[in-house]
Amino acid sequence: MCPAVGISTTVMNGLMLGAAVLLVQVFSSVTIALFKNHIHPRIRIPSYTLTIATWVTVIDLAMAAYLPGAYAKMGIFIKLIVAFAIITMRLEMFACKERVGDSFWDAVGMGLGFMVGMVVIGFVRELLGSGAVLGHDVLGFKPLLFFILPSAGFFVVGLMMAFFNWVEVVYKRKKRTQA
Amino acid sequence: MKDILTIVFRLTVSCLMAAAVMGAAFIVTDKAKKHNEHVREEKTMYGLLGYGARKPVPPTLALHQIYRYVITDQGRQHIGYLLPTGREGKTEYTLVLLDLDGKMVSQQPTRLDGDQSREKETRDRAVMEAIGPGKGLRFADHTIVVTDSGKRVAYLLGGKFPGFKTFINVMLALDPQYAMLGLEVLEHEEDPGLGAEIEKNYFKNQFKGRSFDVLKGLQVVKEPLPEQYRQALEAQVTEEDAARIMGQYRAKNIYALTGATISSRMLTDGVKGLVTKCAYRLDVLDRVLEEQKIAVSF
Repeated sequence: MCPAVGISTTVMNGLMLGAAVLLVQVFSSVTIALFKNHIHPRIRIPSYTLTIATWVTVIDLAMAAYLPGAYAKMGIFIKLIVAFAIITMRLEMFACKERVGDSFWDAVGMGLGFMVGMVVIGFVRELLGSGAVLGHDVLGFKPLLFFILPSAGFFVVGLMMAFFNWVEVVYKRKKRTQA
Repeated sequence: MKDILTIVFRLTVSCLMAAAVMGAAFIVTDKAKKHNEHVREEKTMYGLLGYGARKPVPPTLALHQIYRYVITDQGRQHIGYLLPTGREGKTEYTLVLLDLDGKMVSQQPTRLDGDQSREKETRDRAVMEAIGPGKGLRFADHTIVVTDSGKRVAYLLGGKFPGFKTFINVMLALDPQYAMLGLEVLEHEEDPGLGAEIEKNYFKNQFKGRSFDVLKGLQVVKEPLPEQYRQALEAQVTEEDAARIMGQYRAKNIYALTGATISSRMLTDGVKGLVTKCAYRLDVLDRVLEEQKIAVSF
């Protein structure tokens, strides 16, 4: 989570990080699903970490080679994807038990969800922190500089979680009244 | 026991597989990555010289690379300069050895030509060949002499020095009188929001346009940056106004960043050191080149 809140200061950064995580998640899930019968249960976590680290390195190298602009901005954060618990969690919960195809779609869903989350966080922080959307100045002033600083990332994540909890509560209440 | 053996075996195999994948990716992307780095470096260099999208680089402009080496031979130290020596259209490199008093010891041709000099390994090997075996060799730094139609217009030099936390890597441009043309912070690990502001225009542009005499005695003061000066530094006013305001502050000290006095001071001292050392070395080198009548391409 730390690199995520560190980098998600603009919509574009959020999108790029989301895309990188999506790719790592898909590749790692498919790899683990392919090799699940060969992974000794006692060393599954090191194997997951190794797989993730490999794909992160590959994506890191590819980005440095073909997307130099984006890489200059977020190069150090790409390497930190190795430590994203969300990827390891999906490997442990899903990919090591299910078939390759299912793992692939699970990874795509997870990655897309993460990407949307990052973009929303980036949008809020960019709008409130620098008064812009996708680099275009829309407000003309900077409402709250605080949102650009890393700590604000946690703040926005917290607000998002509160929002989804609230949606859940409302939804459940509605269901109960219908029943 | 058997369990441990399988674990060890499987982990080794997975590590080898991972290494193979990463190695393959490295081989595929390495060339493009180096090319990107080169492009980025070139962009920074031309940016420092004032060329960019609005002002294209003139075709008469040429960059000449000088590489400095420290060579140890039986306890004695020599400074080796790898210099481009011009022949029609082809760049060759000559190694000129100076002793510590700035007297020439010897000069040797190398087998290096223009494009090869960029690769550190090939360059080091060529220098090693030129000086002969059994000597210690250490690469020191890299300076670029910029000429426009054969006349020297600027020097570009890179350097690394300690900052508040780790190292600050900069590139700066000097004019032939060693006045600052521009400063770019390439890499640093200072605190975001505090020391990291060294890379912002309102701080780094404070160095711009200062003469060698001012640079030599540059100090950092803990005073708030005047608003008018900040606007000029960030290019928020018209060009004439900016030049006029910058002129007023040219002989004054550097205004420290709020909350990052040490970062400001480290950067100022580092730049000061780079400029004075570079000026001294280039003066010594120029004198030797003139005395020995070595035809270099700059």
